[in-house]
Amino acid sequence: MSDVFSVELENIVKRFGNVVAVDHVNLKIRENEFFSLLGPSGCGKTTTLRIIAGLEEPDEGVVRIYGEDVTDVPTHKRNIGMVFQHLALFPHMNVFENIAFGLKMRKVQKEEIKKRVKEILEIVKLEGLEYRRVNQLSGGQQQRVALARALVIEPEVLLLDEPLGALDLKIRQHMMVELKNIQRKVKTTFIYVTHDQTEAMTMSDRIAIMKDGKIQQVGTPLEIYYRPSNTFVASFIGEAVNLIEGEVVENGLVDTSLGTIHCAGSLTKGRVAVMVRPEMVEIGDKLYNVDNLFRGTVQSIIFKGSYIEYRVDVEGNTFVIHKHGSAELGRLHHLGDIVEIGWKKNSSIIIPI
Amino acid sequence: MKGTNLFLKIFTILVFLFLYSPIIVMVVFSFNESKSIGVFTNFSLRWYEKVINNPEVWKALFNSFWVGAVVTIVSLILGLMMAMAVTRYSFSGKSILESLILIPVIIPEIAEALSLLIMYIFLNIPLGPVTVIIGHVAFCISYVTIVMRARMAGYDRSIEEAARTLGANEFQTFFKITLPTLYPAILAAGLLAFTLSFDDLIKTLFTTGPGFKTLPLVVWSSAARGGVSPELNSLSSFALSISFLFAVFRLRVERRLER
Ligand SMILES: Nc1ncnc2c1ncn2[C@@H]1O[C@H](COP(=O)(O)OP(=O)(O)OP(=O)(O)O)[C@@H](O)[C@H]1O
Ligand SMILES: [Mg+2]
Repeated sequence: MSDVFSVELENIVKRFGNVVAVDHVNLKIRENEFFSLLGPSGCGKTTTLRIIAGLEEPDEGVVRIYGEDVTDVPTHKRNIGMVFQHLALFPHMNVFENIAFGLKMRKVQKEEIKKRVKEILEIVKLEGLEYRRVNQLSGGQQQRVALARALVIEPEVLLLDEPLGALDLKIRQHMMVELKNIQRKVKTTFIYVTHDQTEAMTMSDRIAIMKDGKIQQVGTPLEIYYRPSNTFVASFIGEAVNLIEGEVVENGLVDTSLGTIHCAGSLTKGRVAVMVRPEMVEIGDKLYNVDNLFRGTVQSIIFKGSYIEYRVDVEGNTFVIHKHGSAELGRLHHLGDIVEIGWKKNSSIIIPI
Repeated sequence: MKGTNLFLKIFTILVFLFLYSPIIVMVVFSFNESKSIGVFTNFSLRWYEKVINNPEVWKALFNSFWVGAVVTIVSLILGLMMAMAVTRYSFSGKSILESLILIPVIIPEIAEALSLLIMYIFLNIPLGPVTVIIGHVAFCISYVTIVMRARMAGYDRSIEEAARTLGANEFQTFFKITLPTLYPAILAAGLLAFTLSFDDLIKTLFTTGPGFKTLPLVVWSSAARGGVSPELNSLSSFALSISFLFAVFRLRVERRLER
């Protein structure tokens, strides 16, 4: 990992009237990193991105690009590229003219422009469409034009605001892989804004989770998934989560309404939540080799394709359990069955609340 | 159902007859050989010959064109700025400004014309082409602003922001992105302003100086001088056909832009 930071945000605050859209945000984004800003609608992702682009002026704080303070540098003098949520292609220009625009603004020679547009069209796989009007392209193709237009100027940072939002699922999945490949090829920092955790998890080196204008956690997808720093991150990430509140009595032991739960060791003291991911919980008629064991009643069973989702009631607490593997189909549990559920202590994580 | 349909058809035809029969009569009688307005005798182009050989008509036509052109350019620039101000920025007094801009469309033109004339006299400004142009601009600007504002209401400003991220400064963004994408609105507003200026009589009549005449003014003074005559018929038909051609052109352009 590089120790050079391409973008640094220091104590950034942005208010719109009474709304604090960005609340003391600090971020250090590494060179050539695929970095995602992930959070629910209205949490301030777009505003943060626009502050990096210079399209929005922060009320407080400093923006640095490669160490240089650009807080007061206007957008057109920051060497950034941006892909907008609704693409914002120039409707009066064809594909070539759209992509060449940034190079023309930089007074690049005509021949050089042709060469570079051709190269970038190859990278985004749009060869042969140079002279199409942009409104005669499919959604996926327009996406690529927007990407090519932003990349061709070889920006120091590429900012992307939910660029896949308008595409349907299949193309979106395809573009996720493609985007990651392109990022590896062009070797530029990508800062990617999304409210879709699959997108963030699939592509990112690191993710920042935002809520109400504040950064909740920064980490790799694995860290965010398995070591959430608070209950918001725990429930926002992943399809489902089991959280049980309790009190730390001793390192790795939490007293809850269900009894004492054995957890992975943690320095956290006092009131906490214990998190167990649904795929970490085992279910069966009789379980061995688990550190935490409970008996409950099967409340619901949903077949989800590659796994089965059980909901099991244990003394008024509902546990979500994901059971993988078709081999298990012969040993399905039924509604109302009394079953055992359990997990190893390393699967339960203590989260401060 | 069928009865209603027939009734509607007849009704429509009657409305159109009512609207257009005076014009048809005028055009038909402009080809009448006889000097009398009452009876059509023979087809003839003699009145048109008279019109075409009248240098005053050509001079007036020329005046109408260049006054129209200047009015169009000036009111486009001012109207565009006005429309941008009210659609993009919020400032105190904005709603008052937005209502004020409508006034020239609402008040009787004669009142406007008279007040302009009084102002010119009060300020001791000599009457002539300049005062005519100012008069025309004063109401064309309202129409331009209204047309532009309507078209700019749904304007997606992110393309301007995209241009800025690609290295364009404010000027480059305005001339390479904003103006070209507003081109349909500008064209529509410009054609409207030109037509309004070209057809205007009352304001021109009040604000022109000695010797400066536009085409509608020539028609008007000819009527005032000699009353209704076959020559006036052909002169009016001539002016009408120019305005008509222009209207057709405008409609075609607008239809193409709307597609
Ligand atoms: N120009 C503005 N004027 C007033 N309020 C704004 C403006 N832009 C954003 N906000 C407010 O700031 C907050 C953050 O908005 P922002 O667009 O950054 O959210 P977001 O995380 O991008 O949401 P989404 O996922 O819906 O795009 C919201 O409450 C929004 O209403
Ligand atoms: Mg957003």
